[in-house]
Amino acid sequence: MEQTRRCFRQPHEVISAVLEDELLRKVAKPTRYTGGELNQCKKDWLRVDVTMAFAFPDVYEVAMSHLGMRILYHLVNEQPDLLMERVFAPWMDMEDMLRKREIPLFSLESHRPMAEFDVVGFTLQHEMSFTNVLNMLDLGKIALRSSDRKPDAPLIIAGGPCAANPEPLADFLDLVVLGDGEEVLPLLLRKIAAYKKETGWRNGGEGAGREELLHRLARIPGVYVPAFYQPHYGAAGELKGITPRYGDLPLRVRKQVVGDLEQAYFPTKPLVPFMEVVHDRVMLEVLRGCSRACRFCQAGTIYRPVRERSMATLKKQAVTTIQNTGYDEISLTSLNTADYSGVEPLIQELTTEHAAQKVGISLPSLRVDAFSVDLAKAVQKVRKRGLTFAPEAGTQRLRDVINKGVTEEDLWNVVDSVFSNGWSALKLYFIIGLPTETTADLDGIVSLAEQVVYRGTSLLRKIGVKKPVRVTVSVSAFIPKPQTPFQWEPQVSLTELENKQAYLRSRIRDRRITLNWHDAKVSFLEAELARGDRRLGQVIFLAWQKGCKFDGWSEHFNYERWLAALVEAGLEPGQYAYRVYPYDAILPWEHLDFGINRRYLVAEHQRALAGVRTADCRRDKCQGCGVCSSLEVSVDLRGDHNGKNPHRLL
Amino acid sequence: MRWLSHLDTQKAFERTFRRAQIPLKYSEGFNPHPKIAFASALAVGVVSQGEYFDVELAGTPEPAVVAAKLQESLPVGLRVFGAVAVPPGTPALMAVVNRARYRVQVALNGPVTAEQLQTVIRRIWLQDSWLVERVGKRGPIVKDIRPGVFALQGEVDPEFIVLDMLVQTGSAGNVRPEEVVDVLLAADGLPVNRERVDVERLGLFVAQGDRLLSPLAIR
Repeated sequence: MEQTRRCFRQPHEVISAVLEDELLRKVAKPTRYTGGELNQCKKDWLRVDVTMAFAFPDVYEVAMSHLGMRILYHLVNEQPDLLMERVFAPWMDMEDMLRKREIPLFSLESHRPMAEFDVVGFTLQHEMSFTNVLNMLDLGKIALRSSDRKPDAPLIIAGGPCAANPEPLADFLDLVVLGDGEEVLPLLLRKIAAYKKETGWRNGGEGAGREELLHRLARIPGVYVPAFYQPHYGAAGELKGITPRYGDLPLRVRKQVVGDLEQAYFPTKPLVPFMEVVHDRVMLEVLRGCSRACRFCQAGTIYRPVRERSMATLKKQAVTTIQNTGYDEISLTSLNTADYSGVEPLIQELTTEHAAQKVGISLPSLRVDAFSVDLAKAVQKVRKRGLTFAPEAGTQRLRDVINKGVTEEDLWNVVDSVFSNGWSALKLYFIIGLPTETTADLDGIVSLAEQVVYRGTSLLRKIGVKKPVRVTVSVSAFIPKPQTPFQWEPQVSLTELENKQAYLRSRIRDRRITLNWHDAKVSFLEAELARGDRRLGQVIFLAWQKGCKFDGWSEHFNYERWLAALVEAGLEPGQYAYRVYPYDAILPWEHLDFGINRRYLVAEHQRALAGVRTADCRRDKCQGCGVCSSLEVSVDLRGDHNGKNPHRLL
Repeated sequence: MRWLSHLDTQKAFERTFRRAQIPLKYSEGFNPHPKIAFASALAVGVVSQGEYFDVELAGTPEPAVVAAKLQESLPVGLRVFGAVAVPPGTPALMAVVNRARYRVQVALNGPVTAEQLQTVIRRIWLQDSWLVERVGKRGPIVKDIRPGVFALQGEVDPEFIVLDMLVQTGSAGNVRPEEVVDVLLAADGLPVNRERVDVERLGLFVAQGDRLLSPLAIR
C-alpha cells in the first residue's frame, strides 16, 4: 500500500500495483499474468546492453508449452549482456480491462510495457495467429506498420515455421529470422547492442536511424528485412520478381541451422509454470528435422536435415532437468521420436533410471508403426492418452502420391499389434482434398476405419477384453504449403471440401466410429494466408480491425469478417488458395532460401503425380534435396552408438 | 503466490519434494500420485501466513532435515516454518482443523469513523442468524453463517476497514470471510469498494473447548 501513495512511479510499478489491487481478482486464471514461476529469469535492466520481449501470440497455457520459447528464453538470459522477458496474448477478459484502463500490454517478469523493450520477437506458429500479432502490437501501443514506426520504436521481429512465407505479414515486421533461432538470435541482439552503444539508439541519440540499423542487421546470414526486398507486379497483378533494395544484400536470404545438435544449447533449468499448461512436463528434444519426405509436409522440408542428440547427452539432460524442475514426466519430443536411431534403448534406460522417483516417460505425436506399438508398451503415459496413427490417405495409390511410407501390410500389423496388446481405442488421422484425390480415396477412409473396427473387435475378444472398440477418424484438409513439393498445387474449393466432409459423414454409419473434422473455412484461410503475398497485409489488418483475434480458437473464429476483409482489400477470395502456380511462376517466397533446391521440389511434385515413392535419406541414399550441400551440414544420427556418426560429411 | 489455485499449490509442493530429493510414498495403481493433503484449501487471491499439510514419506527422515531441504527447493514466496513426524493412524489434519483466522481489508470510498464501525459490529454481533446466499450445485441456497463466526473485530485505517475474524473451517463447514463482510455491509451502508476486498489467512487452528491450538502442537 506504501507504493500507491508515492507520487512518482515508473510505468511497470503502476502496472504491478493495478494488477495486484484490481485486475487479477477479476480475471479467469490470474497466474496467466503474474510470472514469478520457478526458474524464471528476472534481470537487472541497468546491467544489460539490450532487452528483448519474446512475444507469443496466444494465451499463457499455449505459449508456455512451446519448446522453442523455452530454448531461446534461457539461451538469451544465460548471456550476461542480454535480457529476455515474456509477453503473451491476454485472454479477452484481461484485454477488455487493459483497454478500458489504457494499460499497455506488459511483460510477465518485470511488468514493463512491451514498447520499453529494444526488440519484440514474435513466434509465428500458424497462420491463424496473425491477427493476434497485430492485436498484441496494438495493445502494446506500438505502431502496427513497420513504415509508421518512429526511429526509436522497438524492432518488431519474427521467426518460426510461418517464416517459410512471412510475406502476408511483411508490412508489420521489421525483420524475420529464417531457420534455427538459437544460431541467429544472440548474434542479432549483440549487433543491436553495438548499434545502441555507437549511436545512442533508443537513448535519445541524434541520427540513430532505424534504416541504418536494419541495413546492418540485414547483412547477418538468415536475417530477412521485408522492407529491403521490393516485389514487382505485372499488369495482371502477377508477381514479376522480388529484388533487394541494397546492392550488398543477398538475392535470396538463406536459413541458418544448428549444425551439431549435440553441441547446441539446451535449457536444463527451464521455467516451471504454476498453472497447468498444455505440455506440462520436461521436454527433451531428441532430434530435429524429419526426412521421411511426405510431400504435403512443411515441417519435413523447412527443418532439414535430421540431426540427433546422443543418448549419453539426453540421459544427462533428463537427470539434470528433473532435478531442477521436479516434474514427474519426461516427454521425448521431435517431429517423430520413433525415428530416433536409438529410441528403444533410450526409453528403456530412461524408464529404469527414473522409476524410483515415479517419473514417467512419454512420447507425443507417436507415428504408430508395428515397431512403435512396442515402444508405446514401454512407456506408461501413453495408455492414458491412447494411440494415434496417421495413414493420411485412404488408399495405397494416394499414400504413394503423398509419399506416406505406409503400406497396407504395415497398417494391419499396427492394428493387430494395438488391439492384441489390449488397447481398445485408436485414433486415425487423414487429410482430405489431397492432389489427385477421388471418391475412391474417401471410400478408402471409410472402409479402413470399418476394417479396423472389425479386426479390433475380434482381436479383443480373442484376448478376453470385453470393452467395445472405439475408432476416431480425424480428418483435416490439405493445405498447400510453401517450400514443399505441393507448393504449386491449389487447394480444392471450400464447397468441394465441405462436400467431401459431408460425404464422409454420410458414409460412416458404424456407431463405434467417431468422425471429427476441421472447419473447412479455417483451412481455406490457412491456405490463402500460407500461399499469399504482401497484398494480404491489408486483409489481415482489416480482419483485425473488424475484431478478428484468436482465430485458431474455433469459438472465436469468424469467417464472415475475414471474407469481408478480403473483399474490402480488393482481392478475390481464393485468389491464393485456389491458384495453380506454374513451375515458371515467381512464388511470393521465392527470395527465401530454406536450402531445398527447386529442382528437387519439381522432381518430387512430378513423382507425386506419377505415384512414385521417394525413400528416406536416413536409411537410403541421398535424394538430392540440396539442404546438406547448400547449408554445409549433414544428416547426423547418433542414437545407435552414442557417439559421432562415422558417415557425417563434415 | 496468492493467485495460485489449491491444485497449483499442491503440485508446487509435489515438485518441490522431488527437487529436494525427499522420497515420497505414492498411491497404488496405474497412475501413482504422492499423498499430500492440505488441512484446508486456500481460495485463489488469498494470502496466507500459515498452511498445513500431511504428507506420507518413504522412510523416516528427521523432520527438521525434511523442513530444511524443502525450504531450499521451494519457489520464491513459499516458506516452511516447521515439520513434525506423526505416527501412522493419526487423524488427518483435514479432519481436525476447524478454525481459521482471517484479516480482511476492505477499501473505503468515503470516510468512516471507528465509532461507526464498532456500532455496526456490535449490532450484528447480537443477531442470532446471519443469512447468506450460496450458489450450490442445485442452484442458490440460503445458509446461516452466524454459528460459524467466533470472533469479529474491526478497525479503521484512513483508507480501509480492517477486520479480524475467527471462523469455522473444515469438515463441519466453512465460513468465507467475504460472507462476513457482506453481512456487515448489509447491516449498514458503509461506503466501501466491494471490489477491493483483500483477504489474508492468519492461521488455522484446532479448537478444543475454548482453547485454540496450533495444528502442529496437538500432534
